[in-house]
Amino acid sequence: MTGISRRGVIAGLGATTLAAPFINRRAFAQSGDAIRIGVVTALSGPQEFIGNFVLAGCQIAVDQINAAGGVLGRQLALEIRDDRANPAEASAAARELIGLGANLQIGTISSSVALAMGPLMTQEGGVVITCGAGTEKLNHENYNEHVFRPGDGPYMRMRAQARLMAERQPDVTSWTGLVPDHEYGRTTWAVYVDGLLQFYPEIAKADPDILDPIIVPYGAGDYRTFVTQAARSKAQGIYNSTYGGDSVTLFQQAKPFQLFKDRVLMDSANEFIVAGALKGDTPGHWTGIHWYHETNKGNPLSDQLYADYVKKTGNTQPMGWVSEAHAGIYAYAKAIEKSGKSDTDAVIAGLKGLEWDTATGKRLMRAEDNQAIKDVELIYIEAGASGPLGYKVTDYVKVDGNTVIEPPTPGEPMKLRKPS
Amino acid sequence: MAGDLITILFNAMIWAMATFLVASGLTLVFGILHVLNFSHGGFFMIGGYVAYTVLSTFGAEIPLWAYLAAALVASVAMGGTGIAVDTLVFRRLKSVDGVYVLIATYALLLVCDGVVKLIWGLNYLSVSPPRELLDVLFLGGAIMPTFSIFVVVSGVVVFLALDVVINRTSAGRILQVIAVDPWMAGIVGINVSSVYRWTVITGFALAGLAGGLLVANQSLSPDLAGIFILQAFGVVIVGGMGSVRGAFVASIFLGLVEALSATYLPNYPGVLFFATIALVLIVRPEGLLSRQATS
Repeated sequence: MTGISRRGVIAGLGATTLAAPFINRRAFAQSGDAIRIGVVTALSGPQEFIGNFVLAGCQIAVDQINAAGGVLGRQLALEIRDDRANPAEASAAARELIGLGANLQIGTISSSVALAMGPLMTQEGGVVITCGAGTEKLNHENYNEHVFRPGDGPYMRMRAQARLMAERQPDVTSWTGLVPDHEYGRTTWAVYVDGLLQFYPEIAKADPDILDPIIVPYGAGDYRTFVTQAARSKAQGIYNSTYGGDSVTLFQQAKPFQLFKDRVLMDSANEFIVAGALKGDTPGHWTGIHWYHETNKGNPLSDQLYADYVKKTGNTQPMGWVSEAHAGIYAYAKAIEKSGKSDTDAVIAGLKGLEWDTATGKRLMRAEDNQAIKDVELIYIEAGASGPLGYKVTDYVKVDGNTVIEPPTPGEPMKLRKPS
Repeated sequence: MAGDLITILFNAMIWAMATFLVASGLTLVFGILHVLNFSHGGFFMIGGYVAYTVLSTFGAEIPLWAYLAAALVASVAMGGTGIAVDTLVFRRLKSVDGVYVLIATYALLLVCDGVVKLIWGLNYLSVSPPRELLDVLFLGGAIMPTFSIFVVVSGVVVFLALDVVINRTSAGRILQVIAVDPWMAGIVGINVSSVYRWTVITGFALAGLAGGLLVANQSLSPDLAGIFILQAFGVVIVGGMGSVRGAFVASIFLGLVEALSATYLPNYPGVLFFATIALVLIVRPEGLLSRQATS
């Protein structure tokens, strides 16, 4: 074999990169009269796991709406593209779909993709509804009137978590964080601290002691050094905003150190990811979730979504992203009904100030910054179920979104309290 | 203070030996075939999944013998896969430019990714350590989980076995001859093609063994291929491309860098690791122990 040159390596990687956008494209059939909605989400790559829930939520919502007669007498049809959680690929797919007439788009999970969508949609004349994109910049510095978030933003989620701790754990006043080394990770910790600094004095009548967070690398195979640091800390409570496989590895490696044995663990957003992997080894913890069907039992939209999801996939433990996509499609349907048209300007006008029913109850799309006001859902998971799951949900709460959301300040950075 | 030092050294050794387990097959294949195998992490990942499948029949409490047997099954399975990869891919790439080899092995990585998604799905999975290795030892204030000690011992055992085979046996000497001059080795009657094949089998078996031994060390997901491979490449580059001894020394060196960095520069994880690799490449581009030096 001949040698490997640096130029050759660069050429090879370049060719691979150029070929990537042409892989993994899927399109669903549609009728000429149908209102086309573009689903641009991660169907491969690092966020594929979430993208499949988003896609299922979109498909279930469209099936339900079409079975009920459609929107203004027209059926909805999905055009599906894979963005691989990559802004460049998402932009290419979004442009192509707008060219095909799908000016209404949905499915953005990645924050970087969501931030890229604003200028693109303004330029191309489209609108996008995100499905779990967490960056606070979406309704602050990078606010764009073509981008809507129907779910809870980080400000609401993390402050709701802090509020719950002040209510349920008033004696747990010293906190540290396991914070991934990226901007969003640091933001989640900063917002959680803001919530601790507000709600502990207000509710628990105690001043919280905020310790330095432990910054952990993203996508590492060994977290023991960081676990050791956390185990030596005097913190009574640990806020975790690592995510997915990183959390599973970290929790797994933390077990011998008994890191979570006598400490309260609040997890940012792993939903059932950690528990699904660790099963009987799952440490007791609170986690944020977009939708938990048991919390919403009795809500017909939630019950129907759960039934349809289980029927479609056979999975009895759906993640909340299903409901984010489901709520997004329903938002489009209601906005089109409200404005009477499906063109971009009419739909934007229809979405602003829209109040609509979802699987988690009523939501209001705040007109000033396109951020939905909704209840924040939190569940407590611990090991111990006898079934194949190995874990069980032993508590769940809804925190009123109105009590934790920030005032609308589109175009301005989020303002947070800082420990003295 | 003593506890801090022991903790740093212990954490460094765990990182080092876990990385060495993955890097050993990578550096072996590169040393003999001069193939920079991008897909190595993929076969490490599949090895982990194979071990997971074997161990899932034992329920929550896994005996140590079963854990080791599962690692062996993963190793044999990946060694067998190595035969297929050698026949279908590596042998066809013998006389083409190196860039095609890179693309081909990257494509193999995508195949591994697809195989995992097809068979095991997208969910994150995990395996508990064997029941004999659930305790912790305390040494001078440092907490040492017995499973972590097992990982360190596994890395050392694999290194010693490879080192003995390469440097103390006739098969190892043949390997070294072929690594330096395969044409001359062929002239003197060595079956170079067969040695290549056994090298690929061994390299893949080491990937599978690493996957099996480390399956309780981290989560299983289709992302796993990328998690260790970056640091394994770092170890191979710093150690000297193709040198098993170099990879072993480099893994300990970079493990220390990583542990010190995490302890004293906690706000900048990973920065010192990459800075060290860059520095080594500038000061000693052939690596700490180049293959020529070790052979």
